[in-house]
Amino acid sequence: MLFNSYLFLFGFLPPVLVGCWALRQKNLRLAFLTLSSWFFYAWWDWRFLPLMLSTTMVDYVAALALQHTDDERRRRLLLIGSLSINLSLLGYFKYAGFFVGSLNGIGRALGAPVDLPDLHILLPIGISFYTFNSMSYTIDVFRRRVTPTKHLLEYTTFVALFPHLIAGPIVRFTDLAEQLRRPRPSLTSKAASVGLFFLACGLTKKLLIADQLNPYVDRLFAHSGDLGFLTSWAAAFGYSLQLYFDFSGYSDMAVGLAWLIGFRFPQNFNSPFKAQNISDFWRRWHMSLSAWFRDYLFIPLGGSRRGPARTTINLVLTMFLAGLWHGAAWTFVVWGLFHGVLLGTHGLLRKLGLTPSSVFFNRAVTFLFVVAAFVIFRAPDLGTAGTILSSMLGFGGLDHAGALHTFLPARFLILLGALLVFVHAAPNTWQIRARPRIVYGLATGTAAAIAIMTIASPHPFIYFQF
Amino acid sequence: MATIRKSVESLATPGILRRRTGAEAEKLERPLEPGVASVQAIGYGRFALATVGACLALLVATLLMNVLVDPFAIAGTGLLPTAVEADRTVKLDLIRKLERSPDIVILGSSRARQGEPSFLTQLTGETAFNAAVTGGTAADAWVTARYVNDRFPRKPHHYIWFVDAGIATKGINPQLAEDPRGKRYLAGKGVSFTLADVGTYIGPQASLASWRVLKKCLLHSCKARLRYLPDGAIARPTLRYLPEHAASLQNSISRLVDAVRAHPPRKPNTNPARYRFFERTLAFMNAHGIRPVIVLNPIHPKVLAVLRKHGFAQRRASLAYLHALHRRYDFVVVDGEDISRWGGSPQQFTNATHINRRNMRRLLRYVVAHSDGALR
Repeated sequence: MLFNSYLFLFGFLPPVLVGCWALRQKNLRLAFLTLSSWFFYAWWDWRFLPLMLSTTMVDYVAALALQHTDDERRRRLLLIGSLSINLSLLGYFKYAGFFVGSLNGIGRALGAPVDLPDLHILLPIGISFYTFNSMSYTIDVFRRRVTPTKHLLEYTTFVALFPHLIAGPIVRFTDLAEQLRRPRPSLTSKAASVGLFFLACGLTKKLLIADQLNPYVDRLFAHSGDLGFLTSWAAAFGYSLQLYFDFSGYSDMAVGLAWLIGFRFPQNFNSPFKAQNISDFWRRWHMSLSAWFRDYLFIPLGGSRRGPARTTINLVLTMFLAGLWHGAAWTFVVWGLFHGVLLGTHGLLRKLGLTPSSVFFNRAVTFLFVVAAFVIFRAPDLGTAGTILSSMLGFGGLDHAGALHTFLPARFLILLGALLVFVHAAPNTWQIRARPRIVYGLATGTAAAIAIMTIASPHPFIYFQF
Repeated sequence: MATIRKSVESLATPGILRRRTGAEAEKLERPLEPGVASVQAIGYGRFALATVGACLALLVATLLMNVLVDPFAIAGTGLLPTAVEADRTVKLDLIRKLERSPDIVILGSSRARQGEPSFLTQLTGETAFNAAVTGGTAADAWVTARYVNDRFPRKPHHYIWFVDAGIATKGINPQLAEDPRGKRYLAGKGVSFTLADVGTYIGPQASLASWRVLKKCLLHSCKARLRYLPDGAIARPTLRYLPEHAASLQNSISRLVDAVRAHPPRKPNTNPARYRFFERTLAFMNAHGIRPVIVLNPIHPKVLAVLRKHGFAQRRASLAYLHALHRRYDFVVVDGEDISRWGGSPQQFTNATHINRRNMRRLLRYVVAHSDGALR
């Protein structure tokens, strides 16, 4: 079920809101939210619901067991067991096909008689997100930063809560623990307003911006071999903006829906294209994922405490895995490594005091590197990415008039120009501090209605595939 | 550097910041409360009501307008002419007005409308009528075959039935369901306004179509766009490829190719209920001694290449289905999908999915030559 579907907005959400606030008793409300969220998940494919329930139960039991023992060896074994199960499931469903395909490819290249059968495994939606949610809980309990909950419904609601279930933000138990322990007694007008405002912003970003860019961008990437200098940059800018408005739109909807059912989710995007360096970009883009990799991978690897060389290796390794998290394809791996190298280089330059002081220059350079990297992220294969990147460097020559006419219609160019100005100048959804006036309410409702009208042929969110 | 760091921190969102504790200081702050929630003011209730009210009012108003105008003839209000061609009633009226029975009847969708009965007469010496209609389905074929048979009983007819890879299974068109002759043969199996139609009539396509209908009726007239000759042929067709159409044809092909690449057609639903009217029509024709010629509609070579690259499961499934049907029904299949088979020209398309009259003549010549005597 997509957030941007009539079924969700008019079929699922209203009864869930009514049920949620009608049930004032904590256990009933949490049970209702858990069941609603499972139903929301099962609507896509009920066969994968047991998989999510298994992950939930494994971490719930592991966390309680961790709490009940002080034997460090036993605690470590429990953690390893829990992580192994989580990562094995993730590995099988998300990466097994990729590794088999890669092994076959390597085998063929080396002339070895390796021909493992292709695995056609359906990727359970949201598996990367709920697995990371769940793993962070066990690790935090192991680190004694979180007291595990004995209340099963609190935990099932934390893992399954439908606003974050399939595409984040990746919430930590610490984010929701208190909210689960003491659910809000009623929906205040302020919470409803904030929720509706975020939901409307998200719908507008997704349906009126990202989905409008989609056909132009798809077309440019489908004709990668025909792109010249201008059209290749248009493809890169177009996709970067599409991805940003798609995913930040989804995150806004998730935050808005959370407010409407009495929860608060942390910010996931903070105007990432305003970043002044690549580290700053990762503090603003998909913040919940960046924080996860920093807290559970980069810092345990030694972080930046063991000298510049080790820091660079840690960064590259972390970003390699962050890239792989996005998908089982070499394009994601290379995208992650590229960011790892950028982060490492930036760290070194900063240590040597060689970073420029001009804010404008820093922002422009960071933006261009990020946009170029998104070409690798979007391209169906590395060959296509290489073709577009070389065109962006001018090796494809200038575009002829026919290509400009075909690939860059005036509507696309106007949209692109306006959005580039917007992402660099306008405040993001979290920074808006408007007073709750009726006229703003009318404008918000009108924007939401116009967005809803375009739902007739919905596009899934880009991050659903991860 | 300190200045830069300060300016970055100053860009951080206002609101309540949640700082973590731990070995390393938390650099990444993720607030839980957005700026809009930190405004201390009264009037949140009115804001929420205005938001929900404006949203619902606009959606309901749009739905009401589109139901009243009914551009796609879904609701059956019938106050204004539809945005899509109202050719079902026109064609049935033309059949009613025919003075003598046509020997050959052309069935199909808008892709078959370019077929000239007079050209068929030149090829075969038989009289003909083009009964193809916009978005024609098997239900249209069923109603037409029944109506022709009732209008001219005991007269032998031949049928050339153009179908796409989906075998004309897209249900019953509301126009047909509303027409008294359609109602008669469909035995009450009409259409009703469903929840999916609500979605369609909230959407921008319906609103734009309503706008076009209203504009046309207010500024010009409410008459239909296409005119038909007594034999069902289009009165002023695009006879040949015009150079000024080149860009639009190329754009149309590119759009379709992109769409196929983005969403390759899947294997069609093999639910037997989908093929009910198709099989019923074949059974009816066979029962009256008719051996129809089923023609697979031509596909532009560029589109066909992309479809083939993606396996074209729809075509394989359709051919397998037709092959299986041969055990029960008698009909001839002429595969016109690949235009090189019948000497078609890739330029002689009016858009990515419709051939023009010149290509249609080539195709008809091929169909007559490969009809295995079914048209004589």
